Amino acid sequence: MKCEEFEAISLERGGLRMSDLDASLRAAAAEHAAACPDCAALQESWQEARVALQLLRETTQGAQAPQRVEMRLRHEFGRRHRTAKARFAAVFAAWTLAAATVVIAGISWWNWRLAQTSREHVSAANTVKTPTAVATAADTPEDATLVAGNEFGDFTPLPGSLPQEMDDSAIVRVRMQRGALGALGLPVNEERVSDWIQVDLLVGEDGLPKAVRLPQ
Amino acid sequence: MSIPEQDRDDVLLRRAAKGDEDSFTCLYRRHQAALYRFALRMTGNSWAAEEVVQDVFMTLMKEPKKYDAARGPVGAYLFGIARNRVMKHLERLPRELSLEEPNGDGTRASDTAVSTFTPAHWAEQQERTERVRAAVLELPAEFREAVVLCELEELSYEEAAQLSGCPIGTIRSRLHRGRALLMAKLEMLRDTPRRVRVAR
Repeated sequence: MKCEEFEAISLERGGLRMSDLDASLRAAAAEHAAACPDCAALQESWQEARVALQLLRETTQGAQAPQRVEMRLRHEFGRRHRTAKARFAAVFAAWTLAAATVVIAGISWWNWRLAQTSREHVSAANTVKTPTAVATAADTPEDATLVAGNEFGDFTPLPGSLPQEMDDSAIVRVRMQRGALGALGLPVNEERVSDWIQVDLLVGEDGLPKAVRLPQ
Repeated sequence: MSIPEQDRDDVLLRRAAKGDEDSFTCLYRRHQAALYRFALRMTGNSWAAEEVVQDVFMTLMKEPKKYDAARGPVGAYLFGIARNRVMKHLERLPRELSLEEPNGDGTRASDTAVSTFTPAHWAEQQERTERVRAAVLELPAEFREAVVLCELEELSYEEAAQLSGCPIGTIRSRLHRGRALLMAKLEMLRDTPRRVRVAR
């Protein structure tokens, strides 16, 4: 065995732990160390170094960070997560408020739209005509005391009724004397009060007539 | 024996990231000693070691999501951070001397009690420990790391290579060189030095 080999084995194998080497290598190393004072010194040095390292290892084996490090870290952990939680709660509250505002605004807008639509629908369906359209002159055609179209929805509202009230009304066809129209608050040609006529009455939910139509 | 699911490091870390202080504390207590020892052996300074441990866990606290389970266990991840902090410390203060005041009896606060037989034996051991500590601290950082990991932490080449983030061959050669330098330094610190070749 040469000195280089001995040195390599010595340093590679952590200082020639003889038990780690096979018998032939061990014998060769021992023979070389006996013959070479430099290598014997190297071996001795490394063994001493190993002992010293072992001692250093043992003296620092039980070392651990002081308790204050844990305390500082725990304090910081608590502070950090408390802040994060508070921030999260604030953000959550802000978003909830914003969402609630949007929802309320949306619902309000939707209701307003519905009201608008139904109002437009009712006014379109009922094509309300004012009582000023009622004929007053004697020269008007027969049965034209109340001027109204014959199409569905051409009703003349009775005095005191509102267009909104006709929303859920039912149409009832009745036969009556013309004079009875006066009882409904409509002007009647006095000369023809006893004539029998057919009248469509728009009856509201309360059972009272709201408008009248004279079908052909 | 396997660790229960709820006690695994990655599970604890996940819980700590959600604000569970107990999990964080558990993780700290499990790893602090090894990290502290490594930092202490590398820097030779208990204040620096303390700072390193604190930095490691502060990093974990701030950025727990940086840990990637696919790249290794939490312990190795923490060790990697500690190693970086130690190297930065050594770069910043390449020849920093320990400011730690020795106790009246000559020991340091970081030393633990060593069994002694006689005062003379105890004194000799202290002297030898100080000598080897000084010799280790004089090694260049990369050789010192290899010596600390393989000789003091008693890790295998594979483990040391994994923690250092370099190939096994590099660790092996660094250790070889580190041992040779260490021996040379120890010989020089002896009153009657023997002739020791420094490995090529």
